[in-house]
Order: sequence, then C-alpha cells, then structure tokens
Amino acid sequence: MCRGFISCFLILASAASAQDGIPDFVVPHPECLLFGPRYNEFVSKALNLNNLTPHRAAVGDLTRNVAARLAFVPPDSRTFSFAQPSEPGTIDFYIFGALQAAGVTPAPPTTDYEFIRRVTLDLTGRIPSPSQVSTFVSDTTPNKRARLVDQLIAAPQWIDKWTMFLGDLYQNNSQNSQIRRFPDGVKALNDYVRGALTANEPYDQMARDLITATGTNSYQLGTLNLLAGGVVTGGPIQDIFDQQTANIFDMFMGIAHVNCLLCHNGHGHLDALSLWGSQTTRYEAWQLSSYLSHTEATRTAAPGAVNGQPYYWNVADNTKAAHLDYPLNTTTGNRPPRQPSGAQTNVAPMYFFNGDTPRSGESYRQALARDITSDFQFARATVNRFWAYFFQVGLVDPPDQFDPARLDPNNPPAAPWTLQPTNPQLLNSLAQDFINHQYDLKWLMRTIVNSQAYQLSSRYNGAYSSAWDALYARHFVRRLWSEEVHDAIAQSSNIVPAYTVASNGTLNWAMQFPEPLNTPSAGNAVTPFLDAFLRGNRDDEVRSGDGSISQALDLMNDPFVMSRVKSNGPAGSLLVQNLSLPDSQLIDTLFMAVLSRHPNGQELATAESQLASGTRSQQAENLLWSLYNKVDFVFNY
Amino acid sequence: MSERDRVRRFFKRHPHHHLTFFQRPYVSRRQFFQIAGAGVTGSFLLPRLGQAQQPPTSQGVATQNTAKNVIFILLAGAISHTDTFDLKVVNGVTPTNFAPATVNGINWPMGLLPKIGALLPNLALVRSMQAHALVHTLAQHWTQIGRNPAAALGNIAPNIGSVVSIEKTQPGQLFPAFIALNSGACVTNGYFPATYAPFKLNPLATGIPNTTNPDDPVGAAGGRFSQMYTQLQAIDGPLRTNSPYGKPLQDYNDFYTAAQQMMYNKVVDSTFAFSSTDSARYGSSSFGNACLVAKQVLAANQGTRFILITNLNWDMHQDIYGQQNPKGNNLYTMGTPLDNGYSALLTDLQTGGLLNQTMVVMVGEFGRTVGPLSAAGGRDHWLQQSAVFAGAGVKGGRAIGSTTADGSATADPGWGRGRSINPEDIEATIYSALGIDWTTVRHDDPFGRGFEYVPFSDQNLYGPINELWGGTSTT
Repeated sequence: MCRGFISCFLILASAASAQDGIPDFVVPHPECLLFGPRYNEFVSKALNLNNLTPHRAAVGDLTRNVAARLAFVPPDSRTFSFAQPSEPGTIDFYIFGALQAAGVTPAPPTTDYEFIRRVTLDLTGRIPSPSQVSTFVSDTTPNKRARLVDQLIAAPQWIDKWTMFLGDLYQNNSQNSQIRRFPDGVKALNDYVRGALTANEPYDQMARDLITATGTNSYQLGTLNLLAGGVVTGGPIQDIFDQQTANIFDMFMGIAHVNCLLCHNGHGHLDALSLWGSQTTRYEAWQLSSYLSHTEATRTAAPGAVNGQPYYWNVADNTKAAHLDYPLNTTTGNRPPRQPSGAQTNVAPMYFFNGDTPRSGESYRQALARDITSDFQFARATVNRFWAYFFQVGLVDPPDQFDPARLDPNNPPAAPWTLQPTNPQLLNSLAQDFINHQYDLKWLMRTIVNSQAYQLSSRYNGAYSSAWDALYARHFVRRLWSEEVHDAIAQSSNIVPAYTVASNGTLNWAMQFPEPLNTPSAGNAVTPFLDAFLRGNRDDEVRSGDGSISQALDLMNDPFVMSRVKSNGPAGSLLVQNLSLPDSQLIDTLFMAVLSRHPNGQELATAESQLASGTRSQQAENLLWSLYNKVDFVFNY
Repeated sequence: MSERDRVRRFFKRHPHHHLTFFQRPYVSRRQFFQIAGAGVTGSFLLPRLGQAQQPPTSQGVATQNTAKNVIFILLAGAISHTDTFDLKVVNGVTPTNFAPATVNGINWPMGLLPKIGALLPNLALVRSMQAHALVHTLAQHWTQIGRNPAAALGNIAPNIGSVVSIEKTQPGQLFPAFIALNSGACVTNGYFPATYAPFKLNPLATGIPNTTNPDDPVGAAGGRFSQMYTQLQAIDGPLRTNSPYGKPLQDYNDFYTAAQQMMYNKVVDSTFAFSSTDSARYGSSSFGNACLVAKQVLAANQGTRFILITNLNWDMHQDIYGQQNPKGNNLYTMGTPLDNGYSALLTDLQTGGLLNQTMVVMVGEFGRTVGPLSAAGGRDHWLQQSAVFAGAGVKGGRAIGSTTADGSATADPGWGRGRSINPEDIEATIYSALGIDWTTVRHDDPFGRGFEYVPFSDQNLYGPINELWGGTSTT
C-alpha cells in the first residue's frame, strides 16, 4: 500500500496543474503501488480486468479437482432445469438468467449432505454433528433448508465465526508494525463486534460507530481501536490522517485505490487499473483525508505500565495538534511532500463523490460517516465482500478493488474498459435490497445462502469449461480456515480442549480466539498447529487457503490429531464410545462424525477389509486418522 | 505523552547530527534527468489490458556468483555497533574488560567477543551502513525484504530468502530452499506461492517435530505408520492421485508426498537433530543450536540455499554493560552465545570446505546511540549501524567504510556509490553473491506492475557492495 513512501526519492513537481494549482506528483513505478492492508485479496487474487481473474481460474481449477475426486457421488444428482422461474430481482433471477443467456447448464443442486456441511461451515465455522445431519436429511417437510439456515444464524457459533471474519477485516490485532492494541484492546473491539452481531445492529450503524468513535480508553470503548490501527509512528500527523482514510475506504467502501491517490494523482499511475482512479487527483483524496484532519489518537499508559507499556488509545477531535483542515506543510513522512500551492495551505473536507461537505453541528468524522453510509457504494461494497466469502470470488474481485466508474450497467465505460462486476445488475440489486432491509447482515447472509445459486454443487455433470467460472455455474471449494480445521477435529473426536487466553479466560474453540496469533497461552502446543494452516496475523501475513508440508506433517503426526484418534482415549471420545459397534456401523459413525456423510460403497468396502485385518482397535484408529487426512475433510466443498 | 512528543524529546536529548527516517536517498542531477527522461508515466497502460503474464525481465547485470548458500543472521533488537563491530572506546564508559585490541588494523573488543575476534581475517565489517527506520518491527521487516515494509510492495514483498527460493529451488530436492531458524515472526513468502515460504523451525536436539508419528517411533516398512499411510492412500486414493485436471489438488497431494519423504528420513534426522557434544561446542544456546543446524543443513546439501537465523534480545535500553544486573539482558549475556555460536559456525564451515561457497551475513535492524550511556545505563535506537560479511570469496580482515569519531554517522562510505550502505544494498549483495540478477523484475505480482528484486533497480539506486570481494582494506 502507499502507506509508505519513505524510500520514494524522486519528487518532481511538473508544470501540469491538477487542480487549483496543486502540482502533479510524479512518482516512479513500480514501488509506489497500491497494496492495502487487505492484501490477502491482492495476494491470492489478481486484478479483475476482463472478469477472468487468475484467482477465479485457480478456485475453478481447485473446485474441478476436488469435485472430480469426491468419492461420494450422491444418488439424487440431477440435471438443472431452467423451468423453475426465479422471482425478478433475486440472486437466482440474475445468476440463472446469465447462465441461460450464455447457454450454460449449471451444476446440479447440492444434496442435503453437501448442503448441510457447506452451509454449517460457511455460517458457523463448524461442521454439523451426525445427528444434525441425520435429522436434516430425513426431514421431509418443505423449506427445511431455510429453517436450517435460520437455526445456524441464531447459533452462538455464528457470532464466533463472524467476529473472526470482521476482526480480519478490521485488522484487530494486538500489535502491528506501527502500534499495539494489547490483548485488552483486541478484546474490547471483539466485544463491540460480538455485541453488534448479537443485537444484529445494522451494518451502516456499525460503520458509523467505528468511524466516529471518540473516547479516552480503548480498553473500555472497543470502537476506538479501529482508528488506532491507522496510526503511523514517527512521521507528520498527515501520515496518520491518510492511513486512517485509506483504511476506511478500503474496509467500508472497497476502494483501496484511495490509498494510491493520497500519494499522487491517478493519472500516470492507475490508468490501467481503475478508470475512476485514473481521473482522480491527489487533491481530491486530500479532501477525503481532511475529514480525519481534526482527529488525534494518543496513548495513555495503562495502570501498572512499565516503560509506557501497556497503553491504551484515546481518540479526540479538535485537539491542539489536530484542529486545522488538512495542512499542506510537510516535506517528510511516508508520502510525498504536502506543500502549499500559492496561498492555499489547507484542504477543506469534501466528499467529492457527491460534493457534500460537513454540516453545522456535525464533527468532520460524523460527516464522513454520514457520507459513506449514505453512499450506495457502501452497500455495494458490503454485499460484495460477503458474496466473495460465500462464493469464494466476489462479483467485483478482489473486493476492495472497486472501480466506481465501471459499475453502472446503464452507463458502461468506453472501450477497452468493461463493466467491472461479473454481474452488475445483480450487484446493484442485492445492494439495494440490503439497503431496503436496513443493512441487516443476517438478512444478507440468509438471502445469499438460501439462493439456488449458492446451493449449486461443486460437482458438475458432464464437460465443464472454465470460461463458465465467471457465471458461477458451479460452487467453488475452499480449504477450511485454520480455526475450522482445529474445531472440526475437536468437535468430531469429542475431545474438546480448554485454553487459557490472555484477557479472555478459558476458551474451548479456536474460532473464539481473540486474534489469529499467539494464542493460546504457552504450554499449549497447538499454536504451531494453527499457524501451519496459515491463519494470518491481521498485519503482514495473510489468511490463506494454501497447503504446505507442515500442514501435512501436522495432520498426520501432531499430538493434537494423534491424541484424538486413540482407541484407549478418554471415555467420551468418538472412537472409545463406538469401538464396540459392528464394523459397518463403526465405519459409518466415523464417516458421519468427521466428514458429515456416509461412506460410499468403495470406501465402505475398503474400510471393512482394513478393519478385518490386524488388530481391530488399531485398524479403527488408522481409519479415523485417515478420515482426518482425507482431502474432503480439509475442504469445504 | 504522545508519540510525537516522545520523538521530539528523544531528539532533544540526542542532539547528534542524524539522518532521519524520512531523509530520502540522494539523487544526482544526472540520475534525475535519466529518470525524468524515462517517461515514468503511462508507459505500461494499454499493454497491460488483457495481457498475459510475462516472464521476469532484467537488465542482465554481471553478478559476483561466488556463493551457493547464504546464512543470514539477524541480530534482532539491534546490537550496539560502537560496542562491537565498530568499537569506539569511550573513556570511563566502555568497560575495561572489553580489552580493545587492534587486529589487522581493526579495533575489536577482544574481551567481549574473543572468538569472533580470532576470525577477523575472515570477516569484512561494513561500517558505513545506515538503517532507514528506528522502529523495531518495521526495521526488522525492512532488513528481511530489502525495501520499505510500509511502502507499496512492502506489504506483499517476500523475504529475501523466498526470492532465493523461487530462483534456486530444484525439482525433487528433499529440503525446502529457505529455512528460518528461531525466526517465528520472520517475514514469509509475501505474494509468492507457499512453496517458497520459509520452513520455520526452532532447532531441537530431537530434530523436526512431527516427522515421527508418535505411534510409530521407528517407521519401518510395514510398521504402524506405513500401514496408516497405505490405508490412507487406499481410502483416499481417488481423491488425491493422478490428477488429470490441473495443479491445485496435485499440489495438495505433493505436500503429503514431501511430508512423507521427510518422515523417518535418516538424512532429515541426522541433519536437524544434534548431539549435546556438538551443541556444547556451539555454546549450548538456542542461537548456537541454530548455527549448528544451519551448518548441518548446508553440509547435507539437500537443496537448502538460504538460512535465516534470528538472534533476539539486543534491545538494550537499560544496563547495557550489566553493571546493575550481571545476569540480565546485556552485552555480556548476549555476546557470549553470539561469540560461541558464530565462531563455531564459521570454523566448521571452513573446516568442511563450505565457507568458500557460503556467504554469512550478520546484521541488526539498526544501530544504537553512541558515546555516553543514557540515564538508564543503556543505549537507544540509532540509524548508524554495522554489518558483518564472511565467506563466498569475501575478502576478510577489513572494514569497508568508516564512521565519525563517535560512531554516530558515516565518515567515509568506503564503496563505489559514495553514500551510506542501506538494507537494499545488503539485499543486492546477497543476490549478486548467489548469481541472481538483482535487477530482475517479476511480472507475476498481483497488480502485474512488476516486483523488483531490489527496489528502484531500474534507476540503479541500490546495488551490491562489490568492494567486499576486492580492493584493499580501509580502516
């Protein structure tokens, strides 16, 4: 990201004047690129120029591979029929409309087994229990899928999962390369998110809470920790305004290019990346940053601090250090000089997307929060971010690479540009529905996962072309999150650990951890296990779905796994409880517990012959171990 | 007190001439016009649209190409340069038992680091080095990626070791090309595939964790693990082998294959495990054990080309000479393990014939304040620092560059570029030593705009310290 400009040595003031005599800053490439703090999207996904991203190709590939190898081929696979009409304006209306227009037959619907595992993992980060699976599958009443979804969204695990998701988005970590929040600050922000999710607070209200938070103690008022994350140390205060602005536009608006524009005009830098960005100036970006220019985040040493640590954050407006509109008075810092142009020494706030300015009686940040949350782009970016999670690929992808000039299907950009979303009508329609439903996240998730589009299988009957990936002709697979791997093993084995986590007491599930690093406390060897599954650190390491040698070593040999496949383990454990069952029942029980499905004929025969040879208890251990190492365990398909 | 106030007070208390975090590298008038004339705007606009991925490009510079391997020792926390590699005796301050001596014309604390002192004929000390930043995490990342971590590509930039890995990994090699010892928090593979991530390991006498299944200590053919693995393949075979569809699932299976190869592998065990006798020879410390394992890894010659060793706890704001608490974290308690581990490593590499093909680089993320100690009896953060090079044809017994009398700033840069040496130059030096064209630009970064191995190489802003390989000594 353009947070840093320290080593950008070449600052040229060209003769060209961008606006009001503010000079163009010509900055050399390629160092000054835009890579926002959401760089996992940048890393694993690539630019969405012609709607054929390498990322989409990769997940498409992965899906084809996994689906082709799913040993379980459900008996009720059927070919999709477009005969069932979709209500105009719905997800299915647009997705199946696009498929039909392209003459592409989508994948068959998920079986009940596929659906309950997928949706339970996606919504709650857990696998379903065997009894949940059986009950659901045998339920013959209508709308059982929608009722399952309602149950999952009401479950406490839903809160855990989405607190982790939003913690990733807000980069809620105890330490980044610039500042610390300490465990108490991380917990406070998590508590805020949990509370908001529990109360189903409208998402626009959450955004306002986080952008406008004012207070003296970030351990007590969790929302203060969002802006604290934009503090850049050692430089002029404009570095902080700019970083906070960049973070806000990245997290809430999906426009990470604002970060670029805070260093230089878009022309000459973003021309190939963003039509909007190429036409936007640094001056305009300063108008956005000016909304933060009356805000100061300071530190106070907490009681009992040693050498000033731990400390908490105070965020206040119109302080001595921050009471002037964005000052053009620096030659230093992480970005090119901010120098006066003629008599103009300050930049006043203006939401240049619509020309709005702060109203009387309103703080600058209140004005910014109002402008952002009343901007249609806010709804569009939010639904797209959640879409990207549930479908593995955003309608705009990566989700923070929005190009505001390429979103309107009624006003498409001139060639060679194309509309940016793969389905612009769908994106706009879903965003408008989200607004109509008061920015209700539960409504949004329910609407997505209840769609037939989401419920398509990752299997595909017949020849499939990767060109159909952009049409969402089949579901894309994902490797389970680190926390999901951990919790699935703990839950299915019925050997649930207890961890002591700083400021959080005893926690049983990894998805409840306050952040994806350094937890749980020392003495529990599970931290390396969790790290092996690339949970990221909300700073410079990305949450990633990649595989690794360490993951294989850990799933095969780590005590966390090995202690859970013992025939002489704790009395209540999966294997001990079921060891005396007849072979076929034991096999079925283990499959249902670990993989949420029954074995297919070949798997059953293989497992039966394995159990019949050698020491049965050992063979049963081997079988359970094999299930934890099966590829369909580690993927959500 | 706000951060800004703290910084202000800091510089008030330390009225040295200093080059700030933000001071930009010097650009000559000639370079200026070269750059301006190159037309930095608009040059890659349309070709990018719909453009397929390009192979890496480079300027085709000549490299030193004397090293097969690199060991990179990061003295995290920042070692005090004027107490060690750029010794400046301060009367009444420097402890007398530092026993300053002149070896090859180089001042050295023979009392503090005697064993390294004895190896000075092998070492080239770079004394004209300066960091860019005084924040630990930031500067440590800077050192490991050779660019500004807070800048554009910094956030997704791979560790230098991952660049070496992507350049040097050979098919079928047993060990990962990049191993990071005692480096849990090190920078990883950035935007590169996970294949080039550091294999992170805290050396244990027993070797790599989880390469032995707890239910099968021996791993004999037909034994418990072999049965388990066979059963896994039987029950999961259709999902993981003979993938005709593409790489991802094969990749996933490849990880299992690689993991299984590392298990019960005598080469792996003998390389990553170690005896207490050897450990004692390296000083019986975690740093010493890392040095020992690094030596064993290179001797095994199984494809590892870059080893990062992190040596923590050099951040000595208080009691740097241990006058209050001799057993606390001070130059003696840190210096002795460093002296033992590093000297044993260099000696073993030399004895084993590996030193002439292995460059050993030792550097902190910045330096420490010079002259009298702070009120707390320590030294605070300072940009001026030193780096130590050995092996792979580096001509030892010399210092490159020199500092002012108190060690606070570069007096003589001592190399061709005529300015202080930066982390980017260290990075370029490593690539050059390994025969990697340090002007390479990859075009596979997420934005397709070019990832430069060394930033600004198109403008020749940073480059290798070629003086390490030749020239006469300057002290």
